[in-house]
Amino acid sequence: MQLDLAKGSRPRTLAILVLIIMAVFVVRLFYLQIIRNDFYMSAAKQEQQRQFVLPAARGEIYAMDAGKPVKIVMNETVYTVFADPKIIKESQPVIDVIQRIAGGNARANLDKLLAKKESRYQILATKVSLKQAEMIKDENLSGVGFQRETQRVYPEGQLAAQALGFVDFEKKGQYGIEGAQNERLTGKDGLLQTVADVRDVPLTIGKDNIHTPADNGDNIVMTIDRNIQSHAESALAEGMKRSGATNGSVMVMDPQTGKVLAMANLPTYDPSKYGQVLDAAAFNNATISAPFEPGSDIKTLTLAIGLDKGVVEPDSTYNNTDFIKVEDRTISNATKGQTGTITYQRALNYSLNTGFVTIAQKLGNGSSITRGARDTMYDYFHNKFGLGVLTDIELAGEAQGTIVPPTDQDGGAVRYSNMSFGQGMDVTMVQVCAAFSTIINGGTYYSPTIVEGVMSDDGSKIEVAPAKESRQNVISSSASDKVRAMIHEARSTFYSSNDTAGYYTGGKTGTSQTLRDGKYIDSETVGTYLGFGGNDSSSGGPKYVIMVQVSGKNMNLTGSVDALPIFTDISNWTLDYMKLQPKG
Amino acid sequence: MSYQRTTQFSSRRASNWSRNQNTTRFTSNVKLGPVTHTVLVALMITVLGLIYLTQATRATSYDYQAQEIDTKIADLSTRQADLEIENARLTALENVKNSSVAKSMTKPASTNYVSE
Repeated sequence: MQLDLAKGSRPRTLAILVLIIMAVFVVRLFYLQIIRNDFYMSAAKQEQQRQFVLPAARGEIYAMDAGKPVKIVMNETVYTVFADPKIIKESQPVIDVIQRIAGGNARANLDKLLAKKESRYQILATKVSLKQAEMIKDENLSGVGFQRETQRVYPEGQLAAQALGFVDFEKKGQYGIEGAQNERLTGKDGLLQTVADVRDVPLTIGKDNIHTPADNGDNIVMTIDRNIQSHAESALAEGMKRSGATNGSVMVMDPQTGKVLAMANLPTYDPSKYGQVLDAAAFNNATISAPFEPGSDIKTLTLAIGLDKGVVEPDSTYNNTDFIKVEDRTISNATKGQTGTITYQRALNYSLNTGFVTIAQKLGNGSSITRGARDTMYDYFHNKFGLGVLTDIELAGEAQGTIVPPTDQDGGAVRYSNMSFGQGMDVTMVQVCAAFSTIINGGTYYSPTIVEGVMSDDGSKIEVAPAKESRQNVISSSASDKVRAMIHEARSTFYSSNDTAGYYTGGKTGTSQTLRDGKYIDSETVGTYLGFGGNDSSSGGPKYVIMVQVSGKNMNLTGSVDALPIFTDISNWTLDYMKLQPKG
Repeated sequence: MSYQRTTQFSSRRASNWSRNQNTTRFTSNVKLGPVTHTVLVALMITVLGLIYLTQATRATSYDYQAQEIDTKIADLSTRQADLEIENARLTALENVKNSSVAKSMTKPASTNYVSE
């Protein structure tokens, strides 16, 4: 083959033409691709590339059910149904369908909303379930769309409401574990940066694609046992109904680990309807956030200090005259008549203030609560038992309370005499339960915890949370044995008939005056009961510690009449629930 | 040296054909001009371009399939979560307590404990 490129020939003309066109192309392409490369690259990226947020799922919350985790806070997908009134020609069929299927979730005045033809977006119904959304979709209504979102659901209703907290409209956890562990529960959103088509379908073409998967929030397993929690709540409600108390709290703790098994507060609320709560006080978890003067429950701790320091023994005696002078103040017993030389066991049984003031004196020089005695008491109460110290329980709103140190000008002998029987100090129920657990479990302080661990995404295994701080030998094991036996005796003396036979229970009543405008008033008292239950030390020791508190404005509530029956109810039920075998 | 006959016959010409391959000159009667050549080259470029486009589109079609599967997975996950919630609601303590089975239960008159 031979190309004929003679001058004026057709091939020559064509070749020249092709060459010119090619040259134009080359020049133009050079300009576009090389010189204007950055401009067109960024313009193309802007046009084609999309960034999608891959939302992280909020972690779910589990409680225990006889050792097995069960979900008590879950995520539900719900839909917002919206319409473009401009597209909808006939409103009535749309209104009929929405009202029939969405029911109470439909907005009022749908006809008015759909009449706003200038608007392109009107919400017709919110929080529509998947089933309802599918039914509406099946009706093939033009101009009606769906927006997907998630919301928290609480299958157990009000159970452990204050311990759980809630998630507000900004998807932020408030109060309880939702508030305290918000960051862990929220997780971290992922990112998908990719070329997408006109319908925003991500395509794999392009070299700048980024795919960072979402890091879902932790599924937290709480130590709360839903059965104990439920019974504690119903026992508290019944007890408050009997006594007429308006406020009440119960805490159940495992004294061998510091794990919280239940924390109940009344009045309560439904976390799924947090917006309808009129008094925000219902959100507060009084067991951790409301310091109060616990009263005579603290006598068990004072006794433990005396036994540990060796200044008293269970059969030691003192002379009770029903009152005792401390500096310029006279402290009296609430129960009168047990005068004469009596044992500390008797002082505990009858809750005689004088006995415990003498223990405080014995920690000093025997006749007065010296600075040394106060230092010792402060060391035990504050540093060893953790009263007036944040426990760092994994819940929002924990209050510290106050134990006035001896170095403070208010930390004199009078205050410390009051502290020996539980007045003159502000502490929370969780602090008292942890301290009480310490003196009855052999002397180890366990930091209270409500987090068992983190559940894997498939719900198959729990990654157990690392153990929190514990302090061993806070009191000697022999002192712990003695004080446990004395507390058992204190309950057995008057209330053993209430207990299921064959178990080892103990407890102490508490009735404390309340402070109003800096003065103690007699017209309002708080009733408490603090006790333990389970087996004796030869069969595993106490299995639970229960603290009950009831109060009401201008009400005289007492530990023995109003709080103790609630303890007894929960204690007897828990013995059955834990399947503990009775002795004898 | 032993001699063995092969079972298959091959002619001498066939086995030595390379020696004679240029013995005949073939001249085509069809003659292609420069325009035809240009058109053919253009066609070849077009075909190559089409092949490239088909491959690129095929990758994109996989993206749509993947998207469909992702949507299906998300739908099924939502359904599963919905069923889990339904299950949790049905087995909630309040429901169990108020069930007819629970209501018809009575307290045992006596309890015997068996040591494990």
